[in-house]
Amino acid sequence: MIDQLGNGLLLGVIISVAAVALSLLYGVTRIVNFAHGEIIALGAILTLFFSGSVDSRVLFLDRFSPLGMNFVISAVFAVILCGIFGGLLELMLFRPLRRNSVGNIAVLVVTIGLSIFVRHIYLLFATGKVQNFPLELQRRETYLFFDMTPRNFKVLIVAVVVMITVGLILSYTKLGKAMRAVRDSEELANISGVNSDYIIFITWVFSSMLAGLAGIFQAIINDVRWNMGFLILLLIFAGTVLGGIGTSFGAMVGGFLIGVLVQISVGLPFMEGHVEAKNAVALAIMILILLFRPQGIFGKKERIS
Amino acid sequence: MNSPILECNGLAAGYVKGLNILQGVDLVVNEAEIVSIIGPNGAGKSTLLKAVMGLIKISGGRFFLNGIEKTNIPTHKIAIEGVGYVPQVANVFPSLTIEENLEIGSWSINNKKNKITEIFSQFPMLKERRKDKAGNLSGGQRQILALSRALVTSPKILLLDEPSAGLSPVAINDVFETIKNINLAGVAILLVEQNAKRALKFSNRGYVLDQGRNAYHGKGEELLSDPKVIDLYLGKL
Repeated sequence: MIDQLGNGLLLGVIISVAAVALSLLYGVTRIVNFAHGEIIALGAILTLFFSGSVDSRVLFLDRFSPLGMNFVISAVFAVILCGIFGGLLELMLFRPLRRNSVGNIAVLVVTIGLSIFVRHIYLLFATGKVQNFPLELQRRETYLFFDMTPRNFKVLIVAVVVMITVGLILSYTKLGKAMRAVRDSEELANISGVNSDYIIFITWVFSSMLAGLAGIFQAIINDVRWNMGFLILLLIFAGTVLGGIGTSFGAMVGGFLIGVLVQISVGLPFMEGHVEAKNAVALAIMILILLFRPQGIFGKKERIS
Repeated sequence: MNSPILECNGLAAGYVKGLNILQGVDLVVNEAEIVSIIGPNGAGKSTLLKAVMGLIKISGGRFFLNGIEKTNIPTHKIAIEGVGYVPQVANVFPSLTIEENLEIGSWSINNKKNKITEIFSQFPMLKERRKDKAGNLSGGQRQILALSRALVTSPKILLLDEPSAGLSPVAINDVFETIKNINLAGVAILLVEQNAKRALKFSNRGYVLDQGRNAYHGKGEELLSDPKVIDLYLGKL
């Protein structure tokens, strides 16, 4: 079980970053975004496209070569483009839907449709191949109690720094306070002179950048696949619900717990030879916790009036 | 004669297209005045405030602030133009602290630190509990915070939707006292109230709204003693 702790921490922080993004978007816009996974995959696919070796034809129906740029710069570009993609989704799709007062369930179905559509565009262009970032193989080393490659250890550190930054932005900056205000009431924020549409737009950009970053982390640790976001989406939802819907801190902790639980359950004695069933254990634990704490670990019962 | 701050000419608006709640309302609020809107349930009193704030679309008529037409401009811009609005429900951000509520209230102004300090000296209760979540306040305290949230931008006019709804008699006195003080500092008040007698006694002028139109209009005291108004809206004294 301890062997799996390193992997658990890694999966934990990835899901944690993705869950914060999902939870923030849900809080501010009330959109349950099933296309979140596709933004995650976009981050990885774009990074592959920018950084892959020039002579390998792995992208775009095997017809185009990647650009062979520096990996870190590629990742930064990819994250920025994910943000732009999220912003465009808001401007071209979700804002018009909101203007026409389309209900939450209908919008949810729209995001499912969007997810399937975008995912299959990826299949078309990035092909169904499992691909890897152009990074050399590294040997695992021991950090405290757990083993991981130096590169993965860096991912872990960067992810933790990103989450602390997100927490600080939400708690102390003008933008973060406005996001929380719009989360409480879009109408009252407008009445107070805040342009809620602008805050919602920024939230889309911010959330999509975080999702793209989570995708890059995921691809560094594992690989790039057209449906990688979709595969991890259920765990992200589980983390968000476990932590308490609508609380960013809850999403961080819930996401982290789910990731760790999934990986640790691989080491359970009865799981030998059934590694594919690892999600079952984590999700069963989530259901158990929710039975005793329906509002999630950090969710609060609100005084209504 | 004071100049009008807010003016509505034949305002029509509703929540659903083709089904107007307001069917041509004329109303003027002058500088530093207290004006109340009374009328039976469903007359469109709250709807009028929402239409002015840009929360629902104005489908007919025109609306002016300081003589400049502002029909159908976005809500946040109306707020920046100097209109404070306190809705009847959901009028504070429950998950934000009291201080953060005031910071969001002062989003559009520059010297927010000073304004918030000013509010705190006016309402020491808010200062004491500045780090508390607004969701933990009692009804009366919440109403004071809601008023402060709207006041922190130094608006020229304050629209109040049933500030006394659901409060204890003591809290109601507090809230009306606070409103009076706000008005004495030069802020015009447009007040929607269920408690028509109290509102009219409190106001310079009043409008009686019925089925989305102005029915009567006059000085507060005059309306209070007008037999037709008594008969229809106030009940026999």
